[in-house]
Amino acid sequence: MMISEIFLRKDCLNFRPMRRLTRVLQKAARVALARLDAWFNALYTWRYNPLYHSGALVVACFLVLLATGLYLLLFYRIGSPYASVARITDQALTGRWIRTLHRYVSDLAVAAMLVHAVRMFVQGRSWGPRALAWVSGVVLAFVFFVCGWTGYVMVWDGQAHLLAAEGARLFDALPIFSEPISRAFIGDDAVPPAFFFLNLFAHIALPVGVALILWIHVSRLARSYLMPPKPLLWGMVGLFTAASVIWPMGMDAPADLLRLPGDVSLDLFYGFWLPASLSAGAGWVWLAFLAVMGASLAVPLFQRPPKEKAPLPSVVNARFCTGCEQCYHDCPYEAIDMVPRSDGRDGFVAWVNDTKCVSCGICSASCAPMGVGPPQRTGRDQISEVKAFLERARPGADDVVLVACANSAAGGDFFLDAPVYPVSCTGSLHTSVLEYLVRAGAGGVMVVACPPRDCWNREGVKWLEERVDNGREAELKPRVDRRRIRIVYAAEGESLRLAAELHAYRQDLTALDRAQGEDDIVIDVLCEVPEVSVAEEAAR
Amino acid sequence: MSVWRRSAAVALAVGLTLGTAALSRMPVRFAHKGDAMLRLSWKINGVTVEACRERSPEELAALPVHMRNPEACIGGIAPYVLEVTLDGATLPSDTVRARGARGDRPLFVLQDLPVRPGRHDVSVRFRALIPDGVEAPADGILELAWSGPLELAERDVALITLDGSARALQVRLP
Repeated sequence: MMISEIFLRKDCLNFRPMRRLTRVLQKAARVALARLDAWFNALYTWRYNPLYHSGALVVACFLVLLATGLYLLLFYRIGSPYASVARITDQALTGRWIRTLHRYVSDLAVAAMLVHAVRMFVQGRSWGPRALAWVSGVVLAFVFFVCGWTGYVMVWDGQAHLLAAEGARLFDALPIFSEPISRAFIGDDAVPPAFFFLNLFAHIALPVGVALILWIHVSRLARSYLMPPKPLLWGMVGLFTAASVIWPMGMDAPADLLRLPGDVSLDLFYGFWLPASLSAGAGWVWLAFLAVMGASLAVPLFQRPPKEKAPLPSVVNARFCTGCEQCYHDCPYEAIDMVPRSDGRDGFVAWVNDTKCVSCGICSASCAPMGVGPPQRTGRDQISEVKAFLERARPGADDVVLVACANSAAGGDFFLDAPVYPVSCTGSLHTSVLEYLVRAGAGGVMVVACPPRDCWNREGVKWLEERVDNGREAELKPRVDRRRIRIVYAAEGESLRLAAELHAYRQDLTALDRAQGEDDIVIDVLCEVPEVSVAEEAAR
Repeated sequence: MSVWRRSAAVALAVGLTLGTAALSRMPVRFAHKGDAMLRLSWKINGVTVEACRERSPEELAALPVHMRNPEACIGGIAPYVLEVTLDGATLPSDTVRARGARGDRPLFVLQDLPVRPGRHDVSVRFRALIPDGVEAPADGILELAWSGPLELAERDVALITLDGSARALQVRLP
């Protein structure tokens, strides 16, 4: 079959096989990550689970690297790279552990970056408006990696020799240099200080690029979260500082260009590819690199659902919008702006930017008059759905209804005999739904959310709590008995914990009076606004 | 949180930290094919060979005024052939051409030949391929050669390179 025929096949144009493969990988990674998350939650609680803070940990590592790097820069000499690093290593009180910390933390950054990428991949947060964050993240990881590479070359020991020589060999395979740059590292002449100057320059300049790409990476987020909680941050810094003091890095033998590298202390985070590269040709290494980069950059294409299945962006019903700005403040992606009204009423109306909206539905729950949200998921749609649910499940005074986030531990129609009312995100759950369930006579309503730091829509759980407990618009009305509503966090792999929480809640509910259901619950009518505009009213 | 759980949390954190530190300094022995290396590396400006002839008055008249060079030359930097003999065995020869898109840049030789540690008899010859009937220029390097025994220990690299001042090949050992 001709290559052109392969590309013209409909399957290929739709990336169907790659989409299928991506789904399989995503599913497998999701199972593994859910289990890991559950273990880490059990040990560190969701607040300090490092897996939830992987992205912020990378930023924290970056800051530690800047601080330690500035110190090391004071003592590094491009004219005698190995000797100057050896002098730093000889400073028992400062240089030795600072250099070691610089190295260990750079490794932690790579590990945290990998965890962060896997988490975003599992959660499908790569396509549509999030594609910019994904692609910039891949570029960020690459620049970070190259920065680490230049850092290891600075030491000019056995590992540095390998990295420099292999790097040069890879570039020589490209038809862009008239003189093979490998010749700089074969022992013909001493490696010129200009090389170490350029390398040092790159090692300093690349972090500037990292900072710039990081800014792009989070540019579409409102209230981007860049630092882990203090106990986790200082715990990480403390542990790695202790490890640096107790187990400092020594020095390998200096690079000898007329000796083949033998025993090398290889940093697997940055040099994992070296053994394979040395045995394979440069062409294979480039092929592997291009395949990994290409696949990573193409993830948004493969994860993007077909057009007919793609969730639609939020829409605003200007008739209900009062211009209160709550959805504008709550949107985690800055996808909502307030624009002057064009319907004759005074003030502003919400406007959704389709190119930024990820269809998380959080705006549905922020709007008291239920005038905004993705199609079929606005507050009004939720009221219709909960009515249908009550018809179907008919929860009684002894029942607890689980209102469960699709990514939490509660799945299926029932969880331990408790009927499950599924929602795409608890952040998109309008508080009127909770009110409806309680007033319909359910013994209790347990909202099962994913842990706040792992909300697939960033701030869903945070806003839910604010709306239920702290009067944030659209708040749960005071007339609702708060004792009949409980919010719990249970990540996907925490079914056991959820079972324990449910059991405890059922116990607590026995202390309350028997729930009384109302026959005629009116909620949505309360949210109606006059059909005529204020201007028209004034004119009359 | 129970004492056991807290201890497990601390143990895991310490374990992950030490694991990171261990992966940061993984002792790796790089085994190289042959365990020693004969490396050939040099750069020369190759000799230019040209076949020139006088242009006829008609040819000159047909050219624009600024291009009326009375001599027409065809040629360029000559290719070189690299011949290596190792312990009596002749390795496949290699033709080296001048670099650059127009073939007017210097020539480079960069070859790594893995060998066993020990004594080796090596002979290297690098000569310009001058076409028949073309006069070889007098000022360029037409041929480089080196031969002799080499004693190599494990992981040693014997570098055969150009001594620029002597315009001859020389060997460098660790």
